[in-house]
Amino acid sequence: MPFGRNLTAAAVEYMYDGGLPGLYSCIYDCVYADEMPAHIRRAGETAFGLFPQKEVATDERRALRVRNAIHDKISPAALELVETVFYSCLKDKELHILRFLLLGFATGPAVMRMPGDARVHALKQAERHFWREQHLLLGFIRFTDYEGFLAAAITPKNYALPFLARHFCERYRHESFMIYDKTHSMALVYKEYKPEFVRLEKFCFNPPPEKEESYRALWKQFYNAIAIEARVNLKCRMTHMHKRYWENMPEMEDALLPGAPPRGAPSQIQERSPRGITDGALIL
Amino acid sequence: MDLMRKLTILADSAKYDAACTSSGAGRAGGRGFGNTLAAGCCHSFSADGRCISLLKVLYTNHCIYDCRYCANRASNDVPRAAFLPQELARLTIEFYRRNYIEGLFLSSGVVKSPDYTMEQIIRALELIRYQHNFRGYIHAKAIPGASPGLVHKLGLLADRLSVNIEMPSELSLKRLAPQKSRRAILTPMAQIAAGHKQSEQEPAIYRNAPKFAVAGQATQMIIGASPESDYQIIRLASGLYSQYALKRVFYSAYIPTVEDTLLPAIDTKPPLLREHRLYQADWLMRQYHFTAEELLSEQTPNFNPYLDPKCNWAIHNLHVFPVDVNAAPRELLLRVPGIGPESVRRILYARRAGRLGLDDLKKIGVVLKRARYFILCADRPRGIHMGREAMTRALIDPGAITFGTEQLSMFDTAGTGLPGSGDVKTMQEAVEEAVLCLLAGI
Ligand code: SF4
Repeated sequence: MPFGRNLTAAAVEYMYDGGLPGLYSCIYDCVYADEMPAHIRRAGETAFGLFPQKEVATDERRALRVRNAIHDKISPAALELVETVFYSCLKDKELHILRFLLLGFATGPAVMRMPGDARVHALKQAERHFWREQHLLLGFIRFTDYEGFLAAAITPKNYALPFLARHFCERYRHESFMIYDKTHSMALVYKEYKPEFVRLEKFCFNPPPEKEESYRALWKQFYNAIAIEARVNLKCRMTHMHKRYWENMPEMEDALLPGAPPRGAPSQIQERSPRGITDGALIL
Repeated sequence: MDLMRKLTILADSAKYDAACTSSGAGRAGGRGFGNTLAAGCCHSFSADGRCISLLKVLYTNHCIYDCRYCANRASNDVPRAAFLPQELARLTIEFYRRNYIEGLFLSSGVVKSPDYTMEQIIRALELIRYQHNFRGYIHAKAIPGASPGLVHKLGLLADRLSVNIEMPSELSLKRLAPQKSRRAILTPMAQIAAGHKQSEQEPAIYRNAPKFAVAGQATQMIIGASPESDYQIIRLASGLYSQYALKRVFYSAYIPTVEDTLLPAIDTKPPLLREHRLYQADWLMRQYHFTAEELLSEQTPNFNPYLDPKCNWAIHNLHVFPVDVNAAPRELLLRVPGIGPESVRRILYARRAGRLGLDDLKKIGVVLKRARYFILCADRPRGIHMGREAMTRALIDPGAITFGTEQLSMFDTAGTGLPGSGDVKTMQEAVEEAVLCLLAGI
């Protein structure tokens, strides 16, 4: 394959079906047409009509060739990076991936040791953001018990579900549960020891059963009781647990009410520095 | 008493215990319910910015002892409560199912006797482990003075055990916790260290035998209730790490809850900055191979409030610098202010592909604000000289200023030549003042 050379900039937009094989097919076509498109869009995304569009049909055989080429000619680590970034929220990730791959085909495995290069840096950064959000979500997800069936809603920036699935299918192996990703309209449903991903456009949870309310109340009470007033530090809390996660966490519900005093912060207590006082992990 | 009230009292009285993380015990789910993550996991952050990982409660806050620094001391008039074993077990499981928590952290006041208390705790944990098949994380406190048989039983149920050392010296322990002896604390510590080690070395055929405290042990000491210096404290910590194979030593800034002539006045602010410096030093000892003696000495027994311990060390060891980022070994890179283990990893990785300049360092995410004064790189073969003042300014820990200047009075300012608390008003002034003082000191 004529990979590993620079492509000629072209005033054209490529469109693919939004899946990984689709993107690989797209990359295959770009390389063979020697075109560096102005955009690569997923079908359904709004285009501004500035450029003529080329729709790429997903071709499994070509996709596999691209995938194998990444694995063999660059490295397995590069393949993993690309496939993680594909699920991230990096803006124009398709073009970033294409640029990275062109560099990778030209330099081989060494590309992974070039974090100073902007093309590598962009992907690495997106990957880091992805894993960070993953890690936080493992803790911040809250389940509601609907009489034996556990359900949770999340609103992540990156597409996290497949990775969360690994963790929770093990943790709640003998339970049935679902995690609904509102951002990406997808749900993981785990029943009878089998996980399944389903598309869910609009989904509303039932109001929680009464027993559930009492556990939520206990949890909120615990949350409030455990904070030490003499050490209140709302900025520090915010850096560790950004507000965008709060909507799915019962203990933060009241803090989100309009006009509510921030929880656990009686007004006479001053805020302290946002730097961690919990651990030495923040020294450099 | 209803569960809500019990939980309120028993969480409230457990909140000062700092030894609460869930790390160190990776375990897959298997046949039981739940798993643990080796890296630990924060499920929430409370208003004080601390990670909530475990359901942290006392089994009971009834106590026959009278430790002067403790709100639950026998002579203090506070509401008392105790869980029933099945109540606590259910609560833990229900919280865990909803992913509120990673597991349980259970401590307790002493009821009747250390052994009686331990038996209660063990009963609750047995319910959780055997009846509910819970495989999540459990951290339990061993009660000083309990019999070895019970400590052993507890270790088989919990992932981590801890015995609090409480006071940084035997003298302070005698004064403030007269019913706890040094020996009663160190004996179970030694037993746990030995049990953990033995369990780790057991051959694979015993793999299904229950493990003893897989995640090892931790301890905590209270900072600022007694007169020990930072040097004494970190020397003690380093001794504990090596003798009892502790995973962590936690430092807890003393917050007065009771009026007592032997203790700081009730309106004394907790020495948070000092606690922060101790954590930093502890981290340097564990992760950066610093020794207590490198960080402090009899002559300078306390940390500098304006500088983190690593910068403090650098300023007193300028002959080591500048360090060549393209050639220096890992250990030396780690000593550069502003460069942490993650940055070192990235430098080592990136420099295999070519010689690194300032821009490359920036791109791979190395923060140069401090480091630049201490390194050589491809485009700065002779280093950067911007004068001592600029360097000092860069090294000052802005945290020290925002921690509140009242904090500084917790240190012995006379010895270090630093301004006292009354001298500075604004942030700007505080920084300028600090620069001048440090310059005079170098
Ligand atoms: S033993 Fe001492 S520190 Fe522990 S609860 Fe009783 S009084 Fe408090």
